[in-house]
Amino acid sequence: MTAAMTSRERVLAALKREPVDRTPLCNPTSMATVELMDLVDAPFPNANREPELMARLAATGYTELGFDTIMPVFSIIQESSALGCKIQWEQKDNWPTVRMSEPIWREPDDISIPSNLCTHPDTACVTEAIKILRRDYGNEVAIVGKTMGPWSLGYHCFGVEPFLLMSLDDPGKTKLCLDRMKKITIDFGLAQIEAGADALTLPDHATGDLVSGEYYERYLRDMHIEFAERLPVPIILHICGRTVDRMEFIAQTGMAAFHYDSKNTPEESMEIVRDRISLVGNINNPETLFSKGPEVVNAEVVRNLESGVQLIGPECAIPLQTSIENLKEIPRTVREWHQNQNSN
Amino acid sequence: MAQTLDLGSRIELVSMDLHFNEISIALYYPGSNDDPAYLVHTYSSLPGAAGRIETITESMRVLGGMETDATGLLRYPCGHAHTLATKRLFLEACKFDPETSLQLRPLSIFDKKANANILIENLGEGRYEARPEEDATGSERRTTVISRGLIRLGEMEEIEDQPNQSRFGCGQPHDALIGLLLVRAPNVRSAMREVEEMASRGVLSAPSNQE
Repeated sequence: MTAAMTSRERVLAALKREPVDRTPLCNPTSMATVELMDLVDAPFPNANREPELMARLAATGYTELGFDTIMPVFSIIQESSALGCKIQWEQKDNWPTVRMSEPIWREPDDISIPSNLCTHPDTACVTEAIKILRRDYGNEVAIVGKTMGPWSLGYHCFGVEPFLLMSLDDPGKTKLCLDRMKKITIDFGLAQIEAGADALTLPDHATGDLVSGEYYERYLRDMHIEFAERLPVPIILHICGRTVDRMEFIAQTGMAAFHYDSKNTPEESMEIVRDRISLVGNINNPETLFSKGPEVVNAEVVRNLESGVQLIGPECAIPLQTSIENLKEIPRTVREWHQNQNSN
Repeated sequence: MAQTLDLGSRIELVSMDLHFNEISIALYYPGSNDDPAYLVHTYSSLPGAAGRIETITESMRVLGGMETDATGLLRYPCGHAHTLATKRLFLEACKFDPETSLQLRPLSIFDKKANANILIENLGEGRYEARPEEDATGSERRTTVISRGLIRLGEMEEIEDQPNQSRFGCGQPHDALIGLLLVRAPNVRSAMREVEEMASRGVLSAPSNQE
């Protein structure tokens, strides 16, 4: 039996697949809800743009819901805003998005990384929020940052359709674009590590619906290996959708964890990755957490625990209208499951 | 120390209140099968938020014929839950302009398609009948539509061979609730679409699924 650990120790151990006192609760993506925004008076969109509000809202994942991580980067658009993409900031009850119908780049030579990438107000907001959280919570809880991968940035800056067509028509040009954009991922990641992040989520949306496993190997595997080498904290790769066809390649990257979608079963996913990368996620958002009740949440958490999944959490950023009752059921189930294990 | 409360299941949510600082207001069900009860709640501590909750609770009491106790819990006199109807009541109470006077909705509505007033008559034992105020061409089909609308919105029961009638399972009268549901009954699809649109907001899609 492992001695009692702090939340931070628990998360960092699980990311290395080392023994833990209990399975950690980890949210590599947002846990913000409209009710939690009210609780701490930190509503969207301002909580995406003001560090104090961002930190305050993010902390509720730890203080109110009982997770072992705090993840302040709710959106996926902070660095795209710094790059010059047009952003629709939306209201309290909706996500900010990049206007991808108005791309800012068309050719590799258009790629220009501004000198203020990490000091732009929308990226500095993230690093400032991380500093606030580190100051307020010390080493008791794991603070997870987020830096977008070049495939996602390609969608934001070139537009989804043009970027995908480029990948079909001109692999060389696509690789050149990815190679130039990877500096954005690394620089913003390093800035967050310097600010105090313990780990980074790296969403790179080579999603199962649009991109094949073969594409992942061709375009992204080696770049993800490079990220794991150059960013000196555990990296949690996030890709939505059905991804079992690329999990073998993902397991080869040296990243600490893969944040995986409910479209993949825990059993088949664990079977593929074996002990090479930790898994986290899989609790379904749109149906289970958003629409169903605690008993269904409980069943999904237990299935992950019994499959040996190393960290438990939702599959992606939770819907903003998710009920607090369902979110609290995740830690409640994990603790209950461990109590039952210990008493058997 | 956590500040979130165990309030039972949340059965409906208004993410952004139109009438008070865009706070989120939820309808919780702290009751049980033996004692169905509802609570209107917000986690906002803005000055005036508690008053806004009292206003909505009062609107539900008047517009839905509910009763309140000292703790603010809402119940129906019949002792039943009427969950679907209560969700609709909550949504309408949140929309209700607090500056206007609170009045029971009438048991009649002007139906454009029938070009006639449709009345709802309380037949007793929780049973209601839709009929035109005066004979009007095509109004028979519309009374059936309105009666079906009430059935869907209020989780009421159909009456065999009486397509323009409906009945609450509790067998008790709910005139206030019928008046409230009647506004939406002629066009249930629109009411359902509104609920679906509310629910689809706030769900993050992968960039490949965004516009």
